[in-house]
Amino acid sequence: VADPQADSDGSTPRWVKVAAIVAAVVVVLIAVVIVTGRHEPSRHGTSGGAAPGAHAR
Amino acid sequence: MTMSPRLRRLVLTAHVTSSVGWLGAVLAFVGLAIVGLTSHDARTTRGVYLVMEPAAWYVLVPLAVASLVTGVVQGICTAWGLVRHYWVVFKLAITLVATVVLLVYMETFGVIADVAADPTADLEEVRNASPLLHALAAMVLLLAATALAIYKPRGLTHYGRRATRRDLA
Repeated sequence: VADPQADSDGSTPRWVKVAAIVAAVVVVLIAVVIVTGRHEPSRHGTSGGAAPGAHAR
Repeated sequence: MTMSPRLRRLVLTAHVTSSVGWLGAVLAFVGLAIVGLTSHDARTTRGVYLVMEPAAWYVLVPLAVASLVTGVVQGICTAWGLVRHYWVVFKLAITLVATVVLLVYMETFGVIADVAADPTADLEEVRNASPLLHALAAMVLLLAATALAIYKPRGLTHYGRRATRRDLA
């Protein structure tokens, strides 16, 4: 019995290509945020917050 | 590897419960984070950021790990497989990424709680949008994973196509 999820032409479905592109864009954006040093808890603060590490454990 | 129908239903129940429970807990964190950013009461604001870390350890982390483990068991022990279908691959990737980010973020929860516990810290210093941003991102990811599990969009991976041909031979 053939797999009902199988594609008739065996090609990669369009939703997979779209999802992969979206995922790649998100990964690149996150990488840019991390590399540029904008990804720290205090940076998200509404008032700028404490200096990074000021309250480190 | 196969499971008896009874065991398969038990693992599936655990997977659905932990996955949906994880999403619900994340929604609760979205609510907590909004309260932390908007409350005018200092004790409430500090309390929100103090409770996030233990709540995450006792609720988010166990549910995330349970969702990941039961999902992998479901994939390995059923005909769906782990890498046969694109929707399973994407759902596994989402769960894995969300779990790893959560575990890494636990340190941030600790730093935020330390600021909230510091009586010399100004209330505006205590307020932090980071938990809200991360909870919203987690919510989007987990909603996508839930939709994948329900709709199961068609599409076999290259491995899945080879495995299907092998099974038919």
